[in-house]
Amino acid sequence: MKLLKTSLAITAGALLAFSAAPRPANAQNLENSQLLKPSPDSWPLYHGDYSGKRHVHLTQITPQNVSSLSLSWAFQTNQSASIKSSPLLVDGVLYFTVPDHIWAVDARSGHMLWHFNKPTTQGDHIGQRGVAMYKGWLYFVTPDCHLISLNAKDGTVRWTQQIADVNLGYWTTMAPLVVGNHVIVGVSGDFDNLSGYLRSFDPDSGEIQWQWNSTPPPGTPNATTGGMTWMTGTYDPDLNLIYWGTGNPTPVLNGKTRPGDDHWTCSIVALNPDTGKLAWGFVVSPHDTHDWDAVETPVLVDGDFHGKPRKMLMQTSRNGYFFVIDRTNGKSLLTLPYGPTNWATGIDKDGRPIPNPEKEPAPDGRLIAPDEGGLTNYRAPSFDPKTGLFIVDAHPSWSLYFAKPADGNYGWAGADYGLWGKGVIEAIDYQTGKIRWSHEVGAGGSGAGVMTTDSGLTITGDGEGNVLALDTANGKTLWHAGMGSGMQSSPISYELDGRQYIMTSSGGVLFAWALPEKASPAQHATTEEHGK
Amino acid sequence: MKRYRIAAVVALIASSFIAVQTKQTHVDAASQGSASAMQTVQQPAPAPADPGAASYAKRCAICHGDQREGILPAFPPLLGIHRQMTDEKITALIYTGKGRMPGFPKISKEEMTSLVHYLTTTEQPAVETTSAANAGTVHASPLAQAGSSLFQQNCAFCHGRDAMGGETGPDLTQSKLVQGDKNGDAISAVVREGRPEKKMPAFNFSSQELLSLVAFIRERETAAASMKGNRRGVAVEDLQTGNAQAGKTYFNGAGGCSKCHSPSGDLAGIANRYEGLRLEERMLAPRDAKSTVVVTVAPGKKVTGTLAYRDEFTIGLRDADGIYHSWSTNRVKFTVDSPAEAHVEQFPKYTDDDIHNLMAYLQTLR
Repeated sequence: MKLLKTSLAITAGALLAFSAAPRPANAQNLENSQLLKPSPDSWPLYHGDYSGKRHVHLTQITPQNVSSLSLSWAFQTNQSASIKSSPLLVDGVLYFTVPDHIWAVDARSGHMLWHFNKPTTQGDHIGQRGVAMYKGWLYFVTPDCHLISLNAKDGTVRWTQQIADVNLGYWTTMAPLVVGNHVIVGVSGDFDNLSGYLRSFDPDSGEIQWQWNSTPPPGTPNATTGGMTWMTGTYDPDLNLIYWGTGNPTPVLNGKTRPGDDHWTCSIVALNPDTGKLAWGFVVSPHDTHDWDAVETPVLVDGDFHGKPRKMLMQTSRNGYFFVIDRTNGKSLLTLPYGPTNWATGIDKDGRPIPNPEKEPAPDGRLIAPDEGGLTNYRAPSFDPKTGLFIVDAHPSWSLYFAKPADGNYGWAGADYGLWGKGVIEAIDYQTGKIRWSHEVGAGGSGAGVMTTDSGLTITGDGEGNVLALDTANGKTLWHAGMGSGMQSSPISYELDGRQYIMTSSGGVLFAWALPEKASPAQHATTEEHGK
Repeated sequence: MKRYRIAAVVALIASSFIAVQTKQTHVDAASQGSASAMQTVQQPAPAPADPGAASYAKRCAICHGDQREGILPAFPPLLGIHRQMTDEKITALIYTGKGRMPGFPKISKEEMTSLVHYLTTTEQPAVETTSAANAGTVHASPLAQAGSSLFQQNCAFCHGRDAMGGETGPDLTQSKLVQGDKNGDAISAVVREGRPEKKMPAFNFSSQELLSLVAFIRERETAAASMKGNRRGVAVEDLQTGNAQAGKTYFNGAGGCSKCHSPSGDLAGIANRYEGLRLEERMLAPRDAKSTVVVTVAPGKKVTGTLAYRDEFTIGLRDADGIYHSWSTNRVKFTVDSPAEAHVEQFPKYTDDDIHNLMAYLQTLR
């Protein structure tokens, strides 16, 4: 390994010789081995690793000392767009985004190394979830549906490829997933009847390797469109399968033109990353008419289930149900609601909720739980292996859904209105689906993601903009700090120079939290006295 | 320090060199891509008929990008440059150059005019070409068209591309605030300040941008009004399927409404004040209902007021004089009385018929 690193450094050095700027030997070179086994001083993937557990094996910050956690630095993007991305951390540099923007920031000091800005006038600017990285290159998607590969050293563009046609109604927001020599990218678009798909690009040339369509082409009789792929999936290297959640069908609120289950919308699918071939699919919301994208993290857990070792996949889905699935074959192990739901008549033999036709949107309105934002949304949950708790920011909520002939059968095709909601951090026992503890985070809801640590901490946020450190065992608050506005992203954590950092964002500001440094005055610059 | 500066300059020159190199590779890669894969699309080149575009392509695009997107960090984007600089400033800058940017002193007057025109025209390609809702939309004014582009990027996700409601956001064409806003001030204020209580973010738009948004919303309002009986969205007549007598029974019985409300008291004439969806939303979840807080600040000493803020750590109220007070929750005891909680408790108990019947009954209270 060391030999490899040295030879890489030499190659990199040779390539850079003409630029006359000396660089550290190990800079920004992310290999597959690091993606498969991320080191504690890195966060090289959207979820931190391929499993999607968003659990770190760091133990410096503990339930005992977290009360002295304090701000190490903050970074101001000076943008009105909220940070919705998970930063990547590779070789001491953080990379994070808002729509049209990327920043590279020194993780030790929080100062900016470079800033990339490509103003786009097309496509929805609803959010940007972050970059992917492979070797020395970043991969970034734009609202107008282009995949840009940039040099991680300075943010210069290497190539740009089209992911989808923005003029058809697509846009892109997600953080690509790098698996082997594939950069896997998904699409968004709910306002038109379009097919969702995943597309794999060659990391070097940008050429298309494969495409998997979640739904048939628009215009196919009695078939659905939709199934957008707008959140980053997970990967099991042993089974060589990627797991991806797909979005709602279109037309969104009117299901009449798309009878049946509407494969593969509101589904979890397992695909071969080398070919894009479907291994299995599981529909979590058959015939959805409420916009409940099933794109929430498909979390991969190996462990005991009811006395048997299992390779599991868990999802707290937007439709209000918690699913445990055998990820080798897509068979259900457990399905239970984790908050108020009133749209299903029961669970079928395959573990899928049975939609109640009476609860489809109607001209005079239907009262539905949860609301369209769902019982949870794209911000990540976390799985804590020690306690066996699946911890999610839940959003118990009620709403009204309408649809009538005048709304048509194109795009949204109806209207819905949220009535009430609140935020609750819930810890679900994956063996039973029972909620072991819950922690209220305020009226309206929080929207913060969740991260857990080996030392027993759960990091998340409340609806008023506080970052919270909870005791994973019982949900009690151990530490908090006001960040000024609600967290729209999921926390990450890493260790640099022997110091553990917890990183959260709020609005356009990124915060790095750490325990106070041990006093070592000798290492600090002495104060010069002037004019005396 | 001086040595550092030289190194920085060298690095800058080197990086500009890289940028230019990268740019060329990008063009090569793109053309290869289009040969091998149908999906690769070349960025449309500026129309050669426009002399300003031609001048830009010749003189500026090498550094500022084919689409004025810039090549950061070395070269700034020029999209939206008219929001940062006046025409005079742009002209002067082109003549004289600045920093690493060379001057173009020999450029002819005609070319300068067309180039500056090209740089400062709003670069808004038509956004919605395929939406059924917007098919055939002809924008009444360039202002509304500029507003449309801004709306599609920033507002459409929640309010729908046609402003008639989308994910979460209300139908703006039926909004009382929009309808009552004579000069666009109220709309602009909401856009600038956001609606934190409803999770609507604030937007930092210029006055001109706000005007264009208002123009677009007005245009959609007019278009929506012309749909008449076949209007999309929720109309008052859609909410008339209930039975008023059954609603009255529910009101006085199972619904428990009469425990707090009275048809001759707080609800007298309610149907004259609200109608349609607004009435139904208020009926199910009165958003502006006040909660009362009693804080025991010392043994025997209590402060009472209207709940103004609450999280796990802080409780805040407004007293009878409108003055705000707050305490750390671990230093005081307090109780919150929220009458509207009864509405939340009712959600799992309603049938859809109960709601429609109640709605019918409330509409008799005129």
